Amino acid sequence: MEFVLQNFINAMQWGSFYALIALGYSMVYSILMLFNFTHGDIFMTGAYIGFGAATVLLFLTASVGISVPGWLLLILTILISMMLTSLLGIIVERVGYRPLRDAPRASAAITGLMIGIILETGNLAVLGARRFSFPSLIETVTYNIGGVYFTNKKILIVGVSLFLMLLLHAFIRKSRWGMAMRAMSYDYQVVPLMGVSLNMIAPMTFAIGSALAAAAGILYGMAYPVLDPYMGVLLGWKSFVAAILGGRGSILGAALAGFLLGFIEIFTAMIFPSTLRDLIAYTIILLILTFRPYGFFGQPYTTQLRL
Amino acid sequence: MHKSRAVLVVFFMFFMAFSFMSCGKEREARIKIGINAPITGDIPKVGEGTKYAAQMWLEEIEKAGGLQVGDKKYKVELVIEDNESKAESAVKANTKMISEDGVLIIIGPQSSKQAIAAGGVANDYKTPMISPWSTNPDTTRNRPFVFRGCFLDPFQGPVVANFVKEELGFKKAAVLYDVASDYPKCLAEYFKKAWEGINGPGSVVAYESFTTKDADFSSQLTKIKGSGAEFLFTPQYYNEVALIVKQARELGFTAPILGSDSWGSAETVKLCGPACSGLYFSTHYAAAGAKGQTKEFIDSYKQKYGYVPDDVGALTWDALRLAQKAIQNAGSLTGDIAKDRQAVRDQLAKTKDFEGITGKMSFTEEGDPIKCAVIVRISDKGEFEFYKQVCP
Amino acid sequence: MTERLKEIYGSVPVIGWLIGMLVAVVTESAFGAGLAYALYLPKVPALLGLTVVLKQPSMFPAAILYVFLIYALPIFFAAGLTAPWANRMAAAMEALPLWLSAILHLGVLYLVLHLWTDMSDYRLQISKLTMIAVMLTLSINVINGYMGEFSCSHPGFMALGAYASSTFSLVLFRQDRLFGAPILPEFLGPYMFPLGLLLGGVAASLGALVVAIPSFRTRGDYLAIISLAFMFIVKSVFENLEVLGGPRGMGGQPHWATLPAVFIGMAVCIVVINNFVNSTMGKALNAVRDNETAAEAMTVNTRRTKMTAFMFGAFWAGVAGGLYAHELRYVNPSSFGIQSLAEILAMVYFGGLNSVVGSVVGALSIQMLSEALRPLELFKWIIIPLLLILVMIFRPTGLIAFRELNVKRTLGPRVRKSGG
Repeated sequence: MEFVLQNFINAMQWGSFYALIALGYSMVYSILMLFNFTHGDIFMTGAYIGFGAATVLLFLTASVGISVPGWLLLILTILISMMLTSLLGIIVERVGYRPLRDAPRASAAITGLMIGIILETGNLAVLGARRFSFPSLIETVTYNIGGVYFTNKKILIVGVSLFLMLLLHAFIRKSRWGMAMRAMSYDYQVVPLMGVSLNMIAPMTFAIGSALAAAAGILYGMAYPVLDPYMGVLLGWKSFVAAILGGRGSILGAALAGFLLGFIEIFTAMIFPSTLRDLIAYTIILLILTFRPYGFFGQPYTTQLRL
Repeated sequence: MHKSRAVLVVFFMFFMAFSFMSCGKEREARIKIGINAPITGDIPKVGEGTKYAAQMWLEEIEKAGGLQVGDKKYKVELVIEDNESKAESAVKANTKMISEDGVLIIIGPQSSKQAIAAGGVANDYKTPMISPWSTNPDTTRNRPFVFRGCFLDPFQGPVVANFVKEELGFKKAAVLYDVASDYPKCLAEYFKKAWEGINGPGSVVAYESFTTKDADFSSQLTKIKGSGAEFLFTPQYYNEVALIVKQARELGFTAPILGSDSWGSAETVKLCGPACSGLYFSTHYAAAGAKGQTKEFIDSYKQKYGYVPDDVGALTWDALRLAQKAIQNAGSLTGDIAKDRQAVRDQLAKTKDFEGITGKMSFTEEGDPIKCAVIVRISDKGEFEFYKQVCP
Repeated sequence: MTERLKEIYGSVPVIGWLIGMLVAVVTESAFGAGLAYALYLPKVPALLGLTVVLKQPSMFPAAILYVFLIYALPIFFAAGLTAPWANRMAAAMEALPLWLSAILHLGVLYLVLHLWTDMSDYRLQISKLTMIAVMLTLSINVINGYMGEFSCSHPGFMALGAYASSTFSLVLFRQDRLFGAPILPEFLGPYMFPLGLLLGGVAASLGALVVAIPSFRTRGDYLAIISLAFMFIVKSVFENLEVLGGPRGMGGQPHWATLPAVFIGMAVCIVVINNFVNSTMGKALNAVRDNETAAEAMTVNTRRTKMTAFMFGAFWAGVAGGLYAHELRYVNPSSFGIQSLAEILAMVYFGGLNSVVGSVVGALSIQMLSEALRPLELFKWIIIPLLLILVMIFRPTGLIAFRELNVKRTLGPRVRKSGG
């Protein structure tokens, strides 16, 4: 029992990352009908920016000689990184996606992929081959309740992710901007005629998605404190699977599918020999899609490739 | 129209003039040594270590005014090619260095994934190649021209198993390894075999795996913890070591964790922090408390590049020294590249009791070195302290 | 002057250019080494001087001069001089059946390639790998270009083909670590090699069936993730199959991917795919891409069309995978991952969608570029993506997209005798 419970906690943490990253994919996909293959690398950049911000903050507080509580530094780091990374998202949209708005969708996906490669290699060129260890801003405390171990960081990670998801959900459901986004996702060719500018909504979508990815990056850095230029690649592609699995036009679906992917991966490793994890996990996904071809929450639709 | 023609003529004259720019160089006999390193791709750190060690070696040669072979001093040139840590690219790079650049000997590629494929090319073209780091037996099997600079997995697995048995006296082992990567998987298998040979079948109570680039090992570690293992053996690379050790501790796994030579990087401690102190691993050499030429190498590397070299750097250095020795022992170079390559290969195969910085080595028939392993303990200061030496 | 040049070179048919190339290659094998020595080049520049440019910039002018003297001059000279004669020849060949004329052209091309690669083993290897890349690019163009879906499973198909054909040749003809003694005598091997490649292709198209069945139940972007999931599954399967070497990979394939073998493979691939996309099936495929509902209304069986095209594309990826395995003589599951996917996608989108010529151009340019930029190490992977982004922005469907290759017109004479 405690074994299952322990893995439940593990899966919650692992799933949060998939969910947070999948949200960014899903937003761009739902609203602009594009695959944003840069997203995994935006996540990586967010983690690195967070690393830089945390290092600078730690250095500043140390040199000034005031002691700032760790949680405050963490919040500051997250905010700085979210802001800078959303700027990056806007740049990516401007450079890689806007010029290709009338091009086939696949071409935009390719530019996204290529910007991602540039980010990875650029990182390697600037920072060199060494890996960085994400500074531990808050003290790790391990709790043990009936043989189930968890740390304060795990609670924090799951809590912050859920909070951000709810915030996004509220934004999309309640605010005027959110309404514009939802409208855009119905038809981005007609809605601009009603006075909602696509050139406003598209960068905003990228910015919000990137901010979420940056938050995910920092939380990831706290849980797995080894930063690596290629850390976003596999995670990104897998979250992409989760985003589409959630269904088009469903932000909630993407988050749930992210958690589901985390659960599938953790629990297949628990039940079956762990060598077969990927094999079984992705076969399950293949099966899900065979029987629910529109994902969990998506409505049936047809895409028209503008070739 | 005349104007454009005039421009064309000027352009051509300009080019003609430039085409003889390189003529000043004398056509002198040079020794070219190929370096096939993963500078981009998954393991850039390995490529960096290789490149730095090679450049350091070249500097030393240049300081001596060249490489003395017989009664002639030759200038040495390094041809460094990036293999992007892909098998295809490593093969291309090897072919290019052999047929275009005319290298005498090739050092690299490092990981078995590339070394096996590239070794085939080197052997086909009868060019000696030393892979400093590839531990897969297939790299050198049935390839008279391919050598390696490190011990093999079948040797290292039992070393760790015996060490744990004798020094720590445990009975139940757990193993966590990367199933998609050749090196950890093989080492895990050999360790399991050795351990079960000592403690009887079933003594490896948990044998768990993950896939390259995974960062979350919680499910596997939960399983390991539940299995009642007395220690964990994880032959992983330094970046994964930090994650595994930290996550294990967070999940309440307090038993010792042991590793293999892939831990032997200055980054291990930097990334892992105090969580790793007190752990043991088997490796080629111990950086802390090194003596003689090993210390010299470490010091000058550290002074030049700012960090203690990884095992890859040290092994590459040894491979280059091996190559240097073989070239010098060949007596003289004929200038006929095929003959010289054969001569160097024959000298390499004859290597006996070579004093490398990672230990004494002699080559077997297959081109694998017989050398000792050391067990290293990570001290509280984060240094790799010599603990014990194990020889075959 | 330009008018005059246009007049001369506009009238040179394909065979004329081929003759020019032949002359250039013969010139190179006769005088190349001597000229290279005179120009103080270390060796005959392997890839038109591309590899020298960044490694030793001081050699650059010499390399350019070499290329000009050895290639450009003879090609243009010979092509220009023989133009009338070549036109007559082309006209004569036009009277022959198309297949015969195509084979004659390919024969000359092979001769050129053979002589050219004979001079350097590096050239030979790059040419072979480039030809394999051409096959891969073409095969993914069928799916991503002609069918208009976004498929990510090509590395998986390649892996299936590579492993299937490697197993075939290792089990039957080789003493091997994994499978032991050979079953058939080894001299039969090279003749049976096409069979092995075919097996690889079939294995890949069976794999494609696994992707196709769930993804073509509906129209949408699900193919993208189903194919991605498929890629992860294939990689994981090969990692777990100890019989095939697991993560250690499979080595020691025989040396059968020779230049003629790869060339024939590529030629057949180009011809078959070109015929396929110009057939009724190919047109139906385009119709399905442009408007599925309309195509359905025009009695196109959309699902069957898509399945066939998908399996067809996968088949050629499998064949290419088989050749790839025999060229590198070692395969490993990790060679068929996301990195290789990005490369294949780069080649097809760079060259151009929906175009056979575009695929050839894309594969050729990315392969050459990545060899030429190799000395730049890290910056290579900044320059190539940047270039691709620029291509996408200025030509969103690739360099040469939506161009039909009409073999008859391409090979025909450029100047027709009036009244003839």
